[in-house]
Amino acid sequence: MSKLGVFDVAVRYGKVPALSDVSFTVEEGERLFISGPNGAGKSSLLKAICGAAPTSHGRIEVDGDVLNGRSPEAIARLGLTMVPEGREIFGTLSVEENLRVGTGIRRDKSAIETDIAEVYQSFPILGERRHSNAGALSGGQQQMLAIGRGLLTNPKLMLVDEPSLGLAPNIVDQVYETLVNLQKDRGLTLIIVEQSSARAARVGGRMVLLRGGKVVGDGDAAKFAESDLLNEAYFGQDNSKETA
Amino acid sequence: MNAIPQLFFDAMSLGGIYAMAALGIALIFGVMNLVNFAHGEYIAFCVFALIVPSTDAVAVMFIGKAPAILLIPMLLSIGALVAVASEFFVFRHMRNSTPVAMMISSFALGFVIQNTLLLVYSSRPKAVSLWPELNKPVSIVGASIPLLQIIVIVTTLIVVVALALLLKRTRIGLEMRAAAENFTMARLLGVRANVVITGAFALSGALAAAVALIMVTQTGVADVRMGGQIMLVAFIATVIGGLGSLPGAVAAGFLIGAASVILQGFLPLEARPFRDAFLYTLVIAVLLLKPDGLFAPRSSKPRV
Ligand SMILES: Nc1ncnc2c1ncn2[C@@H]1O[C@H](COP(=O)(O)OP(=O)(O)O)[C@@H](O)[C@H]1O
Ligand SMILES: [Mg+2]
Repeated sequence: MSKLGVFDVAVRYGKVPALSDVSFTVEEGERLFISGPNGAGKSSLLKAICGAAPTSHGRIEVDGDVLNGRSPEAIARLGLTMVPEGREIFGTLSVEENLRVGTGIRRDKSAIETDIAEVYQSFPILGERRHSNAGALSGGQQQMLAIGRGLLTNPKLMLVDEPSLGLAPNIVDQVYETLVNLQKDRGLTLIIVEQSSARAARVGGRMVLLRGGKVVGDGDAAKFAESDLLNEAYFGQDNSKETA
Repeated sequence: MNAIPQLFFDAMSLGGIYAMAALGIALIFGVMNLVNFAHGEYIAFCVFALIVPSTDAVAVMFIGKAPAILLIPMLLSIGALVAVASEFFVFRHMRNSTPVAMMISSFALGFVIQNTLLLVYSSRPKAVSLWPELNKPVSIVGASIPLLQIIVIVTTLIVVVALALLLKRTRIGLEMRAAAENFTMARLLGVRANVVITGAFALSGALAAAVALIMVTQTGVADVRMGGQIMLVAFIATVIGGLGSLPGAVAAGFLIGAASVILQGFLPLEARPFRDAFLYTLVIAVLLLKPDGLFAPRSSKPRV
């Protein structure tokens, strides 16, 4: 499970195109970074994959199942989970309730409690505050909760949108350590949106570079960190309006 | 001498009705951002479901003939069914519309229900005698209180506690709360939009039926217009309570009930006909001071 294929995908908001001609594939167990400047379409790409944004063209497949046109709740049942930009924690629910929201789709009900215990073991602070409102957690704690919540759906493929956003560098280290360990333990396929190519290079993996809604690079993250392609993507002179 | 307990029971029972009607509106608003103005017509519909369809002046009991143990679940189911049907045939097709468009279609749906009732039952109010013995007074703490008032207060408490338990302790309750806060995120975690929304409409419709039973027992009248009045007060209660906040809707329902009973009891005689003007002035004052309502849901933004 969880070979992902994105073929010639376009997303538009009304008349405004956000993504066009985007194609790439991700192998089972692979770690893929999506990078590019603000407004490049990174979040739109993740939303298109998980069904939160409709595609206007192209095809997205997971192991031969076409995702286009399916509802987010149907896609979640295929083993995809989203850890969105800004975490989108349920602030009025308790920490533990946040973890349980996504367990409704699981068939292995008996493993839910062990998984929750595991999350608390990885993030003791979440265990300590399991009955408090999640809205009272700090940004870093909310990021951990968002990852844990995604994990509780028992996914094969996890999409993580800018996990480092607004976090102190040492917390970011911790978040990445967690993601890498999870991948090792569970054989997860990971797609992570990360603006910092240096960070992506350090963690290691493949990188797809977006700019103005198009793929402008695809290769080893470490190589990108040294190449001009990144500079060009962020500061290039063509018609991308975000480059100023 | 016994005026104070009397006022207390009046306020609590009136507030209880308002609270239940407001809960019905807040539930739907929570999951759909829809202010469902057809809610009042669900109440009227349930009242008329008690009697035989005819334009005659005298009401003949239909479902209303059944013993309470059958009648109550039957009417709650009818309320749930009407609400679920209106979601299925109207609001489901408007999921991607603006809140204003949805609100307007709820008005339209309300008119359709009301005019159907007019057609079938005529516009003349009819006397309906459901459980008249419940209006007999009993004496409590020195005051003489209709038994129905006590039943209303107890019913409201049971409904509020049951709803709280449902929301806190069950899977569907958890999904409804998650969806009320962030529908898209809930769906991304596999929560089925249709299940949650249908569940909310069913609960809302059952609440409308409960209000209908209480109103018809209390007033002894079936009137096509009876939904509009209570809908207005309930809507105001949900706004004052903070749209989408269930505890807020309950608290504000009781608050409005209490304010209206207190104004009725203490305004000078010549000012009493204008009680509602005073009441709505209070409402405006509250909204000027707290535009998001008294109990607006907590922000989900992180502290840091
Ligand atoms: N909901 C939306 N409605 C309209 N335009 C949007 C919406 N979301 C994103 N966009 C636009 O689509 C483009 C890509 O946005 P996004 O996918 O958020 O980029 P990124 O995540 O790379 O910063 C931007 O130009 C943005 O303004
Ligand atoms: Mg983004």
